[in-house]
Amino acid sequence: MTDLFQYVPGNSPLHRMNPVTKIVLTVSVCAAAFLTDNLLVLLFLLVFDFMIGITAGAARKAFSVFRGLFRVSVFLFILQTLFVRRGNRLFWIVTDEGLLTAAAVVLRLLVVCLPLTLVLTVTRVSDIAGALVQVLRVPYPYAFTLTTAIRFIPQFMEEMSGIMEAQTARGVEFDTRNPIKKLGMLLPLCAPLLISSVRRTGATATAAEVRGFYLRTWESGCRKYGFGPVDLAAALICAALIAGAVLIP
Amino acid sequence: MILAEHVSYSYGGGGQSVSDLSFRIGKGEFAAILGENGAGKTTTVKLIDGLLKPTEGRMTVNGLDTAKTKVSERARQVGFLFQNPDRQICRNTVRDEIAFGLRAVWGKKEKDRIDERVGELLDLFTFTGDEEPFSLSRGQRQQVALASTLAVKPAVLILDEPTTGLDYRECTRIMEFIRTLNEKEGTTVVMVCHDMEVVLDYARRALVMAGGRLLADGPVREIFRDEVLMERASLLPPQIIRIGGRLGGTFAEADDAETLASLVADEAERRRGA
Repeated sequence: MTDLFQYVPGNSPLHRMNPVTKIVLTVSVCAAAFLTDNLLVLLFLLVFDFMIGITAGAARKAFSVFRGLFRVSVFLFILQTLFVRRGNRLFWIVTDEGLLTAAAVVLRLLVVCLPLTLVLTVTRVSDIAGALVQVLRVPYPYAFTLTTAIRFIPQFMEEMSGIMEAQTARGVEFDTRNPIKKLGMLLPLCAPLLISSVRRTGATATAAEVRGFYLRTWESGCRKYGFGPVDLAAALICAALIAGAVLIP
Repeated sequence: MILAEHVSYSYGGGGQSVSDLSFRIGKGEFAAILGENGAGKTTTVKLIDGLLKPTEGRMTVNGLDTAKTKVSERARQVGFLFQNPDRQICRNTVRDEIAFGLRAVWGKKEKDRIDERVGELLDLFTFTGDEEPFSLSRGQRQQVALASTLAVKPAVLILDEPTTGLDYRECTRIMEFIRTLNEKEGTTVVMVCHDMEVVLDYARRALVMAGGRLLADGPVREIFRDEVLMERASLLPPQIIRIGGRLGGTFAEADDAETLASLVADEAERRRGA
């Protein structure tokens, strides 16, 4: 799970694409998913996500995200089916519109989550920050904040797993099947996680400052983030996705 | 007491695995597991504690198979002091922190017994009980973590680099507690440590690991004097052992500075007399 957001080196078109284009492509897929209620379009977007994953050589990761979201998806599907009261009743309290809405919500969730993970698989976090600053002129502190947040996710997960391991060694039974009991056991762990996070943030801030954090501008980066044919192709795909989502009823 | 029979473990994500580990650590022993980073030392102690289950072979502690024993049952037998005390500490006062593990293992109904044991440990470690653990120094936090680990009187104590980040005084205080526990109460101690001086001072037996395998197992001094083994395991023996080894003869038997100085003085005296 901790390697979910880790960069996988490669030379695929997606790896070569400008980081800003990748972000735009991700946002376009997400926007298209929210602009349409058509299940076929959502299904197409999901297939498109998997195609991106396969092209980037990260098919396994795409499937692992899919597997990870499976339980949440089932829960959401049941919830939507039970709570949407519009449409014709099919059986018990389930309506046809409830089923369609539930399917759309689940598909939308999958469509949105996959590209976000894939972007981080094919782009170094430092390149995302560099491109945001150089191409979009985002102030470096904001880009740094964003990328640090992303970079810290696996570290927090590792820290949490270390804390749980330490507590397990003390006899706390995290392997219980009772979710309420488990939640009660997890709450005390917030303290060490919070303390370690604050300490880590302090250490990162000090390290950044001694390396001239406030001197950095959009001209400081040594790497240049240009645009090429692959970025043009991606821009056309983005436009097509948005247009398709809006125009197909 | 601790019996590893052809134990192997491999991490799915590609972390350092261990293979075909077989050893027996008896009651009251003080053993150190040595090796360079990635040798599989921490994996081995996690296997002893049952935090990891062997993919092959069998690990038993006091006759209980760690793969089949419940967490709370195992925590009664084995205490684990981690390198980073901050992963262990989760309560607002030292008193609550020590009581936390006791409540998990003995149950909340045993309030009087828990209070009594917490009082004993507060006296032993000279805490008032009302201190906030996260406001204490690194060494004191490590002592709080040790007190919490010892609360349930484990028969086996595992220490994973317990002296990392501690100054000499803090390190000595922690290790003296552990020595007393080992010598007076017969607690079995298994320690992972990169500080060879600490190993020489406190451990009596050493298990040397490299590449996930057990290279050697024997008395600490004998292990340190085996130069070929030390080279294979990428370890540097304590300075006193190296000086003694260079001087050779009876000097090689010295394992502390005072003994070596006295041997050198005797030799000088002998030569002057001759």
